[in-house]
Amino acid sequence: MATDTDASRVEGFGEVSRVRGIAFEYLSLGASVLGIFALAVLLIYVTIDAFDLAGANPLWLLTYFLTLVVPFLGFCLYSARDPTLTRRAVAVGGGGLVAVAAVFTAIETFVGQIPRLNWQLTYLFVVVVPLTGYLVYMGARGRPGSVGFGLIGRLIGGAAIGMAFSVLFLVFDERLWFLVYTLGVVPAALVYGYGHTRDVSSALTAALPTAILGTLLAVFLRPIIDTYPTTVFIYLWTLAIPIAAAGALVVDARSSRPKAVLAGGVPLGLAAVVGLFGRAIGLGVGGPNALLVIAVAGVPVAVYLDRVFDVGEGVIGLTLPVLLIAGALAGAAVVETFGIPTPSPWVSETFLTEAPSRNATEAGLYPAIVGSVIIIAMVAVLSFVLGVATSVFLEEYTADTGIVGALTRLLQINIANLAAVPSVVYGLLGLGLFANLLGFGFGTAVTVSLTLSLLILPITIISAQEAIRSVPDDLRRGSDAMGATRWQTTKNVVLPEAFPGILTGTILALGRAIGETAPLIMVGAATTVFSPPSSLFSKFSAMPMQIYAWANFPQAEFRYGVVAAGVITLLIILVGMNGTAILLRNRAERGD
Amino acid sequence: MSNTETKTEPSDSLITTDVETESNDRTAPSHRTAVAARDLNVYYGDEQAIDDVSIEIPEKRVTALIGPSGCGKSTFLRCINRMNDMIEVCRVEGDVEFGGKNVYDADVDPVALRRKIGMVFQKPNPFPKSIRDNVAYGLKIQGFDGDVDARVEESLKSAALWDEVKDQLDSSGLDLSGGQQQRLCIARAIAPDPEVILMDEPTSALDPVAASKIEDLIDDLAEEYTVIIVTHNMQQAARISDRTAVFLTGGRLVEYDDTTKIFEDPEEQRVEDYITGKFG
Amino acid sequence: MTDSTESPDLQRRSGLTRLKEGTYGGFFAACAVITLLTTVAIIATLLSDAVMFFAEVPIREFLTSTSWSPNPRGGGQTFGIVALVIGTLTVTITAAFVALPVGTLTAIYLSEYATSNARSILKPLLEILAGIPTVVYGYFALVYVTPALKATMFPEMSTFNALSASLMVGIMTIPMVSSISEDAMSAVPDDLRQAGYGLGATKFEVSTGIVVPASISGIASSYILAVSRAIGETMIVVVAMGAQAQMPAVREGLLGVPYINPADTLLDSGMTITVAMVQIAGGDLTGGTIPYDAMFALGLTLFVVTLVMNVLSDIIAERYREEY
Repeated sequence: MATDTDASRVEGFGEVSRVRGIAFEYLSLGASVLGIFALAVLLIYVTIDAFDLAGANPLWLLTYFLTLVVPFLGFCLYSARDPTLTRRAVAVGGGGLVAVAAVFTAIETFVGQIPRLNWQLTYLFVVVVPLTGYLVYMGARGRPGSVGFGLIGRLIGGAAIGMAFSVLFLVFDERLWFLVYTLGVVPAALVYGYGHTRDVSSALTAALPTAILGTLLAVFLRPIIDTYPTTVFIYLWTLAIPIAAAGALVVDARSSRPKAVLAGGVPLGLAAVVGLFGRAIGLGVGGPNALLVIAVAGVPVAVYLDRVFDVGEGVIGLTLPVLLIAGALAGAAVVETFGIPTPSPWVSETFLTEAPSRNATEAGLYPAIVGSVIIIAMVAVLSFVLGVATSVFLEEYTADTGIVGALTRLLQINIANLAAVPSVVYGLLGLGLFANLLGFGFGTAVTVSLTLSLLILPITIISAQEAIRSVPDDLRRGSDAMGATRWQTTKNVVLPEAFPGILTGTILALGRAIGETAPLIMVGAATTVFSPPSSLFSKFSAMPMQIYAWANFPQAEFRYGVVAAGVITLLIILVGMNGTAILLRNRAERGD
Repeated sequence: MSNTETKTEPSDSLITTDVETESNDRTAPSHRTAVAARDLNVYYGDEQAIDDVSIEIPEKRVTALIGPSGCGKSTFLRCINRMNDMIEVCRVEGDVEFGGKNVYDADVDPVALRRKIGMVFQKPNPFPKSIRDNVAYGLKIQGFDGDVDARVEESLKSAALWDEVKDQLDSSGLDLSGGQQQRLCIARAIAPDPEVILMDEPTSALDPVAASKIEDLIDDLAEEYTVIIVTHNMQQAARISDRTAVFLTGGRLVEYDDTTKIFEDPEEQRVEDYITGKFG
Repeated sequence: MTDSTESPDLQRRSGLTRLKEGTYGGFFAACAVITLLTTVAIIATLLSDAVMFFAEVPIREFLTSTSWSPNPRGGGQTFGIVALVIGTLTVTITAAFVALPVGTLTAIYLSEYATSNARSILKPLLEILAGIPTVVYGYFALVYVTPALKATMFPEMSTFNALSASLMVGIMTIPMVSSISEDAMSAVPDDLRQAGYGLGATKFEVSTGIVVPASISGIASSYILAVSRAIGETMIVVVAMGAQAQMPAVREGLLGVPYINPADTLLDSGMTITVAMVQIAGGDLTGGTIPYDAMFALGLTLFVVTLVMNVLSDIIAERYREEY
């Protein structure tokens, strides 16, 4: 086109189109970040409301910034060991402070007041939070950082899972579990262990029938026996000891026997002492739940410590929890001595442990959290089993031709369409089928879990299929050529390789289930329950249901306080789940 | 290439000398037939991959299948342990006999068949498991009740890998080098004690040093097993095999004879052209 | 190691082994069939109650009546879907005004302009938009967006309104448009781009003149999916839009052409099909009443509409897959 025209016109034309092109590039860049930006602003506001930061004294912010945030950033920079990064971080932190203060003051003077924001908070969210995120990312690449974050993650994750376990026993009969464990699980594990170490294949096959037999026996004996050990002993025997044993086995396989005893024994002993005598010796905590939390968090930490000391690099990173706790205590001490007024956040211990109330300051999310935990546990089991089985069938057991091929295509199209059915329609399915026709009751855990399992099943299947498809065909053919049956190839080669991917997909799908509200309303889940459920067939609420109920309250303390706290709690749980999923995926991709 | 290579072979030549004497020895007496094909035709959809092949492959010998790419030699190999069953458009006519039994008979279970016939692939494909578990894999799936560790050691020794890995049996098979991985795959294939080992261009993805180790190993294996190897490297076929089958385009078996005869005095002009590099 | 036996045992394995194999296969197949049964169950559940509903309320009335008041206490019950459809259309169209252009531009940026580093940051961030629970979006709309809009642009806006709900639905559906469109644009072969550059075209001209037209069927399919998602969206509208089924005033414009002022529907509360379902479910759930059945009739409508749109989007998407 341009060849016919003379040079000056080409020049001019090029200029024009370049301007247009640059304008378009920035327009499309703006569009890409528009949604993210809008969401970020909303999240900033909801965080400010939930933690009552708008009313926080700037000195209070400054104190914790200096005692908690700055040392943490220092730790990240130390771990990254990159002078350029340190210089840049200091420049961004300092320059950002000046820039935000100047711009913010300018806006306030010339445009007008921005509600519930001041320049300190703006600096916190616009500069400090992204900077911290980036430095955490960079710090985690260094050995001390990865050790420190690994430790923190195990502590928090373990504690959360421990609490989730104790919540599950609110509805599941711990005495029945005690019998099932003693009569079914332990004998089966012994039989299997014997078969495994002595290479007796008949013992391996006998393990499953043993477990089934023991379970049946337990169910039969449960109404007959009426003396049981206390809850502490049941948790100790059925959960803490096997977890400690598993941890010890891991360490044993990796390093030495004495270390294994230490890694299993120390957390177990600690859990037992605190669980049995915690209150008696004046620790302030104790009882079965403390035992569970310490055991579930302690054993992985002990195993992790063993590995860190074994590798011997970045051991200094283990001080990160100490650094954080010391920072928090120091901040509290400073605030105390100088009498700096502290904000009263809506997300508080009361909020997480109390029942809902008409009075905003007393309102809590506890029954809804319990409901969500139980529902998620059941959905996880159901959708994992169904999702994996279906995707194995679709990827490993089908053919492209014939009747089976036609069935496969039908299933595949059907799954894609199910994934796009509105969630409220799944609610109607649950209402009509599970609640009414099958009589599982309106809004019970069973009805809700079944409905949500079907809802996320297509997503679980599609992601599991992707994970299975990514297993190289070489491995399948290698196994087939050894004379493995289809199931043997699937079990020994395909599933172990695809497992991290499947797990990631399932957790991401569960993240969707935990936030779903419409189907819960449709099956008649309670908007507000005042005590945690006592059985699978009692009325349930869940976190999003409670948020929905509170959002309708007209009072400002609810709108801008309690609901914000509920939203933040829900989002933190979601971020925790999705973060775990993404970490799992990244680890699997790195191949360790 | 072949001559210079054989000369520069690593001189831990205990094995090499063994090979010399033995392969001379092995060409002499005639052997029982391990695998035979009769009027075998294979189609991929409408395309014919094997055209009326009949062949008798002797027991405890190395038989090489050579020919240009796309000549059907790999297809033929995969007919023997019915790996072609995995390809849905593949259709097989005629007989493939293994120990006197047609493997395409209705009552033959391909899984049982593959437990008697080991296979090594072009690209090393160890499982992402420990070295020990890789070798023990076949034993595990077949419900082997004997001493697994002893069998693992024996197989690794047969695959000339034991000395290199005996201290790291619990580390992943993927941590090994390419040549070691391929020998691990050979150990895996021989651990359940098959009768026949099929090899599909086992050295084509390896560097020359690793390849020559595999070649030495193949010679040793022929003492115990019937080895059928597909290769596109004619020098390799000449070095290691006792019998050679030449496939040419269209899936036809053009000539099948003792390796020395094929390489020194082939009957067919086309085979001579192929071997001397005039085409293919 | 052993001498070969006369004829190796290649027979089919023992009954027990085969039974075991068959059991696993059967179990997997059964699980797979559950997905099929889910569809069947959805259709059966919706149909059985919808049929009862249409025995009481004629389909004609359902489709043409402009009044929706299922509450028996308020005098006569009427079940006309028109007002609900208008509510749904208001939300969907407004959301589309946000999601489609923004999503398309995002896709163009990601596929044509972004460095691989920028892409690896932007894509997960965009996915977050679709991962936030919808009840949270509804809360944002009600508590932050509406007051902000009221204070700055629309003082006459009511507390529950369609506009802020639609904006949130739009933001939520951006990643649906952007990810599917980007896939389609990345599938455009590089040869076509090179050809464009060879003719002296700028990057802008290549993006808009070659890549977008070449991937148009993928983009269209992403639009349909996003719109179908917006139609089925429930919690955002339930929380932020209120629950009053309203017919907007029809005004007379130039030359007597009737029109609906968008401000009438956008700034006021309204009711979508999904809101109507939730409203009934929030009250009375004992089966057999007409409102209960009405819920299933609405659900059936929703299911059929979204299903048709998904199938349509599949068919269109098939085309771009075939092209390359």
